[in-house]
Amino acid sequence: MSLRAITDLLWKAFFWLSGLFILLVLLAIISYLIWRGGPYINSQFILGNPAGTPLGSEGGILPAIKGTLWLVLLALVFSIVPGLLTAIYLSEYGRSGRLAEMINLLVQSMSGVPSIVVGLFVYALGVVTLGWGISLLAGGLALAIMVFPVIVVSSRDALLAVDENYRLVANSLGVAQSYTLRRVILPRAAAGILAGILLALGYAAGATAPIMVTAAAIIADSSGALLEPVMALPYHLYILFNEHISINQAYATALVLVILLLLLNTLALWLHSLQERINNR
Amino acid sequence: MQKVNPRLEIREKAINIIFISVALLSSLLLLAMLLFILRESWPIWSQVGVMDFLSGTTWRPVSTPPQFGIAPMVLSTMWVAGGALLIATPLGFGCAIFLAEFAPAPVAAVLRPVLNMLTGIPSVVYGFLGAAVLIKFFEIRFDLVSGESLFAASLVLAIMILPFVTANSEVALRSVGPEYRDAAMSLGVSRQYLALRILVPLARKGMLGSLVLAFGRAMGETMAVLMVAGNILMLPFSWFNKGEPLPALIALELGSSIPGSMHYQALFAAGLVLILMVIAVNLGVNLLLHRLRSGVKPF
Repeated sequence: MSLRAITDLLWKAFFWLSGLFILLVLLAIISYLIWRGGPYINSQFILGNPAGTPLGSEGGILPAIKGTLWLVLLALVFSIVPGLLTAIYLSEYGRSGRLAEMINLLVQSMSGVPSIVVGLFVYALGVVTLGWGISLLAGGLALAIMVFPVIVVSSRDALLAVDENYRLVANSLGVAQSYTLRRVILPRAAAGILAGILLALGYAAGATAPIMVTAAAIIADSSGALLEPVMALPYHLYILFNEHISINQAYATALVLVILLLLLNTLALWLHSLQERINNR
Repeated sequence: MQKVNPRLEIREKAINIIFISVALLSSLLLLAMLLFILRESWPIWSQVGVMDFLSGTTWRPVSTPPQFGIAPMVLSTMWVAGGALLIATPLGFGCAIFLAEFAPAPVAAVLRPVLNMLTGIPSVVYGFLGAAVLIKFFEIRFDLVSGESLFAASLVLAIMILPFVTANSEVALRSVGPEYRDAAMSLGVSRQYLALRILVPLARKGMLGSLVLAFGRAMGETMAVLMVAGNILMLPFSWFNKGEPLPALIALELGSSIPGSMHYQALFAAGLVLILMVIAVNLGVNLLLHRLRSGVKPF
């Protein structure tokens, strides 16, 4: 065997191994969580309130699930409209203009801002200056700022992927741009936009750092009141482990969180591939 | 062009203006954030001084007189993120080349969604598993009192950034024009040679870009380092020391600092340093990449 053949073989082995390694990581994470957390998941865990001493060592996680839903809902309410309008501006109205270029750059930089810095900002602005206190409202705002760039970029790309001929034909027929947008472009990009929103939803549901400083409480009933602190799944997991409340409950909470996010992710992937099929038709 | 309907035209103009203003306002939020954090942290910069704040090695925010030095946290941040990159780069590049060149279609069809799912697992779960499994393993295997270290944090972060490095590098590899591949294959070189000597040099700009993005992500990551790095406010001298990166510092102390106090302001100053570090890395490497021509070196 020549030297070249040997090095080639070694490289090939390395490439295969690094690919398999990633596969293995995901399998290991999920199967370990199922093994450790699975036995503790039952209807009482999902639908019950935290119980036992210290609080949370027994019982369920319903308030944390509710809190996470409220936070995510609020984040989407705050971010979808500005996110979509920005995306439409970037893909339709602004196109390659100077201003659009600048906005693109700003949005891109925004997605690089560490989530704890977003939390810091909302803490100073909402929690302290505006006097909201640690609250659902502040957490929703922090998550909204965090997912805003995600929504802009994914919707922009979905809109840009719509065949240019639709725009050209509509324009040459003298159809108003807003009408073309509403009746032709948006419907054709809907699946991709929805996929982006689902991704943003998952991103917000799993984020811990920003809500840790703005919204989360160790125990709360998460009724949905805007100025009350809430419980949240990721923060609950952090507390269960870090305060040594219950490792089993922590594994079960992690499993619930991961299953929830993987479902969202899979749905988003499916919508994304649906969009690609629409684009290629 | 003939004007057909002036009212329609006005309406279109109005819609256009709405879009412009919303897009502009929401993207200016970034600048507002920076200014706001700068304002909140201003007393620290003027009273403690930029150099003293950055190079000070003692952080005693509530003692009298208080001491504000964030050098240990800055160093921990760099160490943790740099270490994560060191671990993730070979694996990420290897996997990207695997996906772009070697993986049979069914394997790639499984691996791509898997990468996507890995990015979907939240950081607190990675941090939790790192602390509950990895740290425990270190403690038992090496007989340590506590297994937390910057190294452990790097390992966890490496897993977290691996999908990003892989996905973005694969895009870069795939964007190399087909003519290079065709020419190389017709000359009868092996696939390995094609990948390593032709595709990678051509795609190096994008591949380096993927590393920068990942580095920024690793620097700003909070939960994983918070749970795994050990949270000790001392200057780290080795990868295996404990440390407390900037995001962990902010997350741990913000709630207990009194608004308006110097402690509070110092945490905002730390946040500003963190965000400037991320921006500096991005800008610096962008400039570097601008000068670096992509191309195949003659050899």
